[in-house]
Amino acid sequence: MIPTTLRRSLLILLLIMSVGSVFLVSAIGSVSLGWGEWLKAMTDSSSQHGELVWRLRLPRALAAWAVGSMLAMSGCLMQVLLRNPLADPYVLGVSGGAAFASLLGMVFGVAVIYLPWLALLGALVSILLVFSLARGTGPWSGTRLLLTGVVTASGWAALISLILSLSPDNSLRGMLFWLMGDLSYATVPGWALGVLAASLILIMGLARSLNVLAMGETTARLLGEPTRRLLWLVYLLASMLTATAVSIAGSVGFVGLIVPHLMRLVVGSDHRILIPAATLFGGLFLVLSDTLARTVLSPQQLPVGVITALLGVPLFLLLLNRARLKGV
Amino acid sequence: MTTLVCQSLDVSIAGKKIADGLDLELTPGQFWGLLGPNGIGKTTLLKCLAGLSTPDSGTVLLEDQSMVEIPRRAIARLLGMLQQHTVYVFDASVLETALTGRHPHLGHWKREGAHDKQKALDAIRAVDLDGFENRCVTGLSGGEARRLAFASLLVQEPAILLLDEPTNHLDMRHQVRIMDRVEEQVKNLQRCAITALHDVNLAARYCSHILMLFGDGKWRAGHVDDLLNRKMLQQLYSCPVESVQTSAGKRFLPGN
Repeated sequence: MIPTTLRRSLLILLLIMSVGSVFLVSAIGSVSLGWGEWLKAMTDSSSQHGELVWRLRLPRALAAWAVGSMLAMSGCLMQVLLRNPLADPYVLGVSGGAAFASLLGMVFGVAVIYLPWLALLGALVSILLVFSLARGTGPWSGTRLLLTGVVTASGWAALISLILSLSPDNSLRGMLFWLMGDLSYATVPGWALGVLAASLILIMGLARSLNVLAMGETTARLLGEPTRRLLWLVYLLASMLTATAVSIAGSVGFVGLIVPHLMRLVVGSDHRILIPAATLFGGLFLVLSDTLARTVLSPQQLPVGVITALLGVPLFLLLLNRARLKGV
Repeated sequence: MTTLVCQSLDVSIAGKKIADGLDLELTPGQFWGLLGPNGIGKTTLLKCLAGLSTPDSGTVLLEDQSMVEIPRRAIARLLGMLQQHTVYVFDASVLETALTGRHPHLGHWKREGAHDKQKALDAIRAVDLDGFENRCVTGLSGGEARRLAFASLLVQEPAILLLDEPTNHLDMRHQVRIMDRVEEQVKNLQRCAITALHDVNLAARYCSHILMLFGDGKWRAGHVDDLLNRKMLQQLYSCPVESVQTSAGKRFLPGN
């Protein structure tokens, strides 16, 4: 943990890196731009590479940033709700629920503007299912949580496979990429940025309440929190953030696990610092992961979910092992 | 003047009666000991007094207002409870955890000021955890975590303190230290405490009043001198008890 006095400087550093990354990665890709070309493209959108930068790379980087920060926030919230640092929207099947509901909507030809609402519904159903079965203290809570989450996730995966197997071959590749978490065609609609900003403000207002809630529901009540109302609000926020992220980029895994974990190591567990740090770093993390995804086998593009999962799975196992050693 | 009053309170858990028609008045300057055998419902009763659960019938009044009508935040400024178990899951520092006691006193966007921090540091010193301020709570021993939870309660500054076995996990020195702190709260600050205890000798040393739970809803409440004697304790714990006279007064031992 870094000293309290440095925390503010860290946030400023993260903000600069976050914003910088969105712009800088637009120079990198299958057509690599030199500094001169990039600057020219940035300042003049009608120049030779202007179209590439402004129409393709910047929107994609912004989408990556938004998705990363929303998943990181959602991860932080779910970890508080479950009092368990292993909670993550992907691992616990919340992303799966949102993905299934949207996919079902697509198959039945629901208008695109309604798909995020379906995603929200799917996310809410999963989150309530997992939490109602897995909350509580007891010696089995960690195991019960993971089991419930994993089973819920595989339930959604089975339903998704069912839809896929009934879908025509020509749409399969697109669907599969989306399910793995893909930013190739992603753009951020204005409302999604609105959800992101509104949630961040709301969560920051609740940050000290989250600190108290992380100490247990009874402790929170004794310290003056009307926990029932607070819990519902947090459930709703976590689902909304996950659903929005899924509507943009499909189910990108493990961001909600990796990012809060790394930030906890650096800034500690005070949500007044952790939430903004995780939000900024989540965005940065996914921008970099997506850049890796589109350059590592260039011109072949990988779904970004492959990269995050390859980073997330070892970390998850490490955490699980640490929890075992600690007896949590 | 903050008082906690129970009016013909019926409390039960899973069909088992804990207290039947309990009438009780906790007023400033009183130090209550809550005694009873294992599993008799001491914790359940304390939770009911804290407004965490609702009684089957009867009312709990906090400052002459029914507990169910008071918002949680207002309750937390008047009444605090040390729970029986303290488990810290996330890595926070000892100082941050002590500061959570200020939560009910601060608005949503307000941060703890120097004044709040001073209260937390004082409380940390009061439980002998000074030097631990920047330590991580997940690394504390059972006894240290217990003392930290008590420090958070001191920082909350409630007029009514409910304590569920505060001396759990503590060595002899710290048992006395914690009870001394509670006594200070009661005597110097005119607060009121009710403490579930298993050590009847701590009750004999510190408490001014005793509430005994016998099971099946039967209870007795009164001044310590009227209740804490060999006969009552034998009846309470269904076990032979010896009493010995010490320089500090009467103390009790399990008999043969």
